[in-house]
Amino acid sequence: MANLRSDTSRVTSELSACGSHLTIRVYGPFNFNLHRDFLDSYSSLPQPPTRFSIDLAEATHLDSAALGMLLLLRDHCFGAEVEVPSDAVTLLNANEHVATILEVSNFDQLFDIR
Amino acid sequence: MLSLMVVEPAESEADLLASMLRTVSEDSPHLPTMAIVSERSMSAALTTFATSKPNLVLIGPGAAADVVPSDLDRLRALAGMEPIPTILAGGDRDELLDRALALGADETLAAPYDLREVHLKLCALARLARFGASLLGQRDRIRQSHDGLLGEQASVRRMFGNLSRESCLNESSAIRHHLSPQALLNGDVAAAAWGPGGKLIMLLGDFTGHGLAAAVGTVPLTAAFYSMVPKGFALPRILQELNSKLHRLLPANMFCCVLLLELDTHKRRLRIFNGGMPGACLRRASGRVRQFESRQLPLGVLAELDVAPAIVHVPVEKGDALYLWSDGLAELYSSGGEPFGQRRIVEVITRIKEGQGRFDGVLDEAFRFAACQADDLSLVELDLDRAVAEATSRAPVRTRLPDYRVGEWSARFTLGPGELRDADPLPPLLDVLAQAPGAAWFRDTLTIVLGELFRNALEHGVIGLDSSIKSSEQGFAEYYHELHRRRRALREGWIQVAVKCHGRGSGGVLEVVVDDSGPGFPASWSRSGSYAGRGLPLLRSVCRTLELQYGSSRVRALIDWGRPVDRGIQAAENPA
Repeated sequence: MANLRSDTSRVTSELSACGSHLTIRVYGPFNFNLHRDFLDSYSSLPQPPTRFSIDLAEATHLDSAALGMLLLLRDHCFGAEVEVPSDAVTLLNANEHVATILEVSNFDQLFDIR
Repeated sequence: MLSLMVVEPAESEADLLASMLRTVSEDSPHLPTMAIVSERSMSAALTTFATSKPNLVLIGPGAAADVVPSDLDRLRALAGMEPIPTILAGGDRDELLDRALALGADETLAAPYDLREVHLKLCALARLARFGASLLGQRDRIRQSHDGLLGEQASVRRMFGNLSRESCLNESSAIRHHLSPQALLNGDVAAAAWGPGGKLIMLLGDFTGHGLAAAVGTVPLTAAFYSMVPKGFALPRILQELNSKLHRLLPANMFCCVLLLELDTHKRRLRIFNGGMPGACLRRASGRVRQFESRQLPLGVLAELDVAPAIVHVPVEKGDALYLWSDGLAELYSSGGEPFGQRRIVEVITRIKEGQGRFDGVLDEAFRFAACQADDLSLVELDLDRAVAEATSRAPVRTRLPDYRVGEWSARFTLGPGELRDADPLPPLLDVLAQAPGAAWFRDTLTIVLGELFRNALEHGVIGLDSSIKSSEQGFAEYYHELHRRRRALREGWIQVAVKCHGRGSGGVLEVVVDDSGPGFPASWSRSGSYAGRGLPLLRSVCRTLELQYGSSRVRALIDWGRPVDRGIQAAENPA
């Protein structure tokens, strides 16, 4: 199963019909190896979305580089705003292991974790 | 320029092959100039190979008969990474192909020789040689730059070694630490130093990633740490400074997980902050283990971080030892891909009864378990009993006889609600007092006395907390939580500090008077009341006189120095 996606993209993204809500899905270990794909998934859009959902259902691990990538996303999209709404970026469906890492880092202060 | 070698014993045949190669190379605009050398046999060719360094070997019909496959292997071994194509030349095309296959040659050239065919093959081989040369050139450049990088990192590593000269990590017998970087430079950082008043401050940090970028972040972190700790800044101020410094400096995707702790060796109290690190583990003599999990974001993520509510306060018991580690330890993987894990670390710490062997025990089990290390890894042990003992021997509260003049001076400070709420006014105050003549002699004592009296005035006088809440471990935490809450909401109140120094020959007396806006000491404090916590015995032990009164918030302390003081004389209290 782990190799199922090895030659396809490990990051996919989907924009809502109105273009304001972007869902990014990450497959396998969420680490530095996919920083380029992750960055491309949101930075190349003509109209920046106002809401983001990161679906972690298929993410098997998440390291500090990935936490950094999530911070970059937040910075890229809301950098100029003083108060980023807490539900602007939602992290979804993290498995127990990944949820523990988010909890230890206290990222619930920055992201809406469900 | 290409170099070609013709191997052929018969002179006429050798000349024919050489002149053919020369003609083709001279006529072709696509070929570089060629140098042609001739050898009579394969063994001669192998002997002169190192000096002639051909890019191509053409084996004539006379030599081909004697060549064995191992000759060509040796030829290729001598050429190393450079491609060395071999061509078999001869009469019968069929026989030639069989022979080339048997020997493992690269090409054949059948007689009668056609110059167009020779031309075609030389062009192909010249392209191959160019490709090989450019590949090797790249390899050499990468190798060179990698060597340079390692050399630079080694220099940087030496600089890092010098950075932590103020550290007491290696000097203190209470601390054991193991830091092993995954690469040459370390993104994990440990720092420890004694602050004034017998406080040991220790930090373990883990920057995002590893290698150079992560390691560079440790420079401003340790610089701020070693500059603030000796000045006596409180944990929240140190954390805020480290956080804002890292926030300004680090790129958005980098941050630093930090465990910062302060051990007050006089009051036997520990304060711990954990932002993003694996839970630190306090092992009691009974074998009971308490973990301090991360309660705040790592440093450098937000510009402002509310750290005080995340600081945990714990009373220290006899036989306590504290263990800190970075996630690299838990993320050591076995050959089966299983992580070592937090649970195993805590289990080993709990299981090993003998305090001496515990630190090594954890590392031994971890490295026996692990097949590979994926991240920087650190483990720190703090033996709290030893640290307390060390503080006593390290900083005798009474200093030696001063041999120079002590000044005559006085100073008075009044701090309003704003200062009491938001600032950490003691370190700057002590810094000012430290400039006074002779102040070096009583700095440590003054830090303790002023610290105790100031906190007493703030916590009991201005804020009105009762320290009897602190009698249980749970109450201990509640007390500090409540203190933080009420302090943040502070809108009125004041504390006044007056310090007066009288020089007296080679010694002198320092008078410290602290007053506050509170209602004063309650009558119930006297024997085992609210103020009889850990602070009062400490004050008694360093002051000649300590005066306090029921219903008054004014406390007067007299500190002697310059004369050895009989430890038997206790503080002369005057509650009446």
